[in-house]
Amino acid sequence: MAVQALHNKAKTGETKRKRVQSPWRLSLQRFMRNRLAVAGFFTLLVIIFVTVAAPLFTPYNPTAINIMNTNLPPSAAHPLGTDGSGYDNLARLLYGGRVDLTVAVAAALMTMLIGVIYGGISGFFGGWIDNLMMRFVDVMLNFPFIPFILALEAIFNTSGELILITVVSLTAWPGPARFMRGIFLQLREQDYVLGAVTIGASKWRIIFRHMLPNTISSLAVLVSMSVAGYVGLDAGLTFLGLGLPLTVPSWGGMLSQASNYIDMRTEPYSWIPPALMIILTILSVNFIGDGLRDAFDPQART
Amino acid sequence: MATYIIRRLLGLIPTLFVITVIVFILMHLMPGNAFLALTQNPHIKDAAEVIKRKEAEAGLNLPLWQQYVNWVVNLLHGNLGTSYQYDEPVARLIGFSLPNTLTLAITAEIIVLLAGIPMGLLQASRVNKAFDVSTSFFAVLLYSIPSFVFALFLIYIFSFTLNWLPSFGTVTPAVPWSGDLGDRISHLILPALALALPSIAFYSRLTRGNTLQVIVQDFVRTARSKGLRDSRVLFRHVLRNAIIPIITQFGFDIGGLFSGAVLIEEIFTWPGMGELTVSANLNRDYPVILATTLIFAVTVLIGNLVADILLAIADPRIRYN
Repeated sequence: MAVQALHNKAKTGETKRKRVQSPWRLSLQRFMRNRLAVAGFFTLLVIIFVTVAAPLFTPYNPTAINIMNTNLPPSAAHPLGTDGSGYDNLARLLYGGRVDLTVAVAAALMTMLIGVIYGGISGFFGGWIDNLMMRFVDVMLNFPFIPFILALEAIFNTSGELILITVVSLTAWPGPARFMRGIFLQLREQDYVLGAVTIGASKWRIIFRHMLPNTISSLAVLVSMSVAGYVGLDAGLTFLGLGLPLTVPSWGGMLSQASNYIDMRTEPYSWIPPALMIILTILSVNFIGDGLRDAFDPQART
Repeated sequence: MATYIIRRLLGLIPTLFVITVIVFILMHLMPGNAFLALTQNPHIKDAAEVIKRKEAEAGLNLPLWQQYVNWVVNLLHGNLGTSYQYDEPVARLIGFSLPNTLTLAITAEIIVLLAGIPMGLLQASRVNKAFDVSTSFFAVLLYSIPSFVFALFLIYIFSFTLNWLPSFGTVTPAVPWSGDLGDRISHLILPALALALPSIAFYSRLTRGNTLQVIVQDFVRTARSKGLRDSRVLFRHVLRNAIIPIITQFGFDIGGLFSGAVLIEEIFTWPGMGELTVSANLNRDYPVILATTLIFAVTVLIGNLVADILLAIADPRIRYN
């Protein structure tokens, strides 16, 4: 990228005036120039802030049942009303965001971890190892998602954040694994890998010290896209009753509780806010992902 | 071509074998079985006896590999077994659910293609103009809304507020026009839209990107300089070339829409494969779990195969042998 950047500058004849900028700096500049990506970034920051600092915005405990105050309409004390169990909707919205974001980010990171290790080994070694490992990926890509999740949840016999993260990453890894394999296959042909081989570096050192850092830009894009997908997936699973238990506050859980035929019509204030939060989160993460992809694109002009 | 298709179909067998073996193992790892529910039935006095007899009848006492072999042998004879929870042939349950899911998924797919591809083409032909920028932004917005959230908004707006369309089931019960074509279509619109909208956005973005790569090529300029109308160039010359990656995506999506339908079916109480799968898994109804898994897997695999075949039709340069 640095060479590319220099090349670009040489073309415009600016090499003398400006000092050489690192590829990271150029990427950052490109990212900052993408207005939608920056807007997405700040929206996400705001969402993270209100969920992390939830106690500042609401005095209520999201898991404390108050049977004297069920199904209240919005009021000064309860800006979004309360639900059928007397939970304060605003408290559940804010604290629920913590859970949703944590689960989505953790699941994305875990999926990437599996994907990088699996794809890295497959792509680096090639040959029959690659062939065998990719056949298995093909099978898992075709594996029906819902039965698999149901079976895993039944086997673990509990539901909760950790189980959900495990289940999602166990089902979602084949896509990233195949993607990372493609990248490692390309990197394997690079001169610096040949260089590392000639000075006698071990295979694992080459994979993790030399090749992995060069996949960071693709990884960042993949992680952000996955986070967006998993926010929706987690909410969907919880909505189906297959994700988080209803005792844990979450956006999907709020939707699931408020989406019966009576509440949906009469209490839009109980389900529209979590729906909007889900959309807003996914939208901002998608814009960030788009921005990152363009920013890291080595062909992009500075 | 025929030999290619046959070879591909034979190639599905190992994949299906591995998938069903994994499901088989997972299914038996799940705690409990379907017959344990009988202990909750007050009319059965000697529940333990009955459960034992039922388990023996279903062959659950045999070693696992034996059970799997029996299942495969039965499958090859066209027998999917009998559901534990409904005591009905699995084939009949599937025969009832599958058409409903297919109707939903195919309608959604048609909406996606009819709306997404022309939208992408129009965006690309007016690249960076107001139409392109605004609809592209709108597409990202649509793409960011999970289909089940869409479903809730659609129900709230079109069923509850405007009272235009029904929000559950496939027909209106107890009215003279129940089951009419119009009645069925009115029940189909909302779930199909909810399933289709996020994909429309995805397809329009995909089409836009592909079209932009094709539109600068020489043959397009030649077509224009021959004096062809813009619309003809766009739909005849550009689309034919831009559509190729979309076909591949379409093949992948057939399976995706099928499983995406699960959530939508749940919300609209649409009696399809999704409901069948979920209840079978929750009730440990082994024959139904295996059958639904098989159908989901076959759909995905057939989708990929159909995509490859369509690809060869759309692009004469691709030859399979």
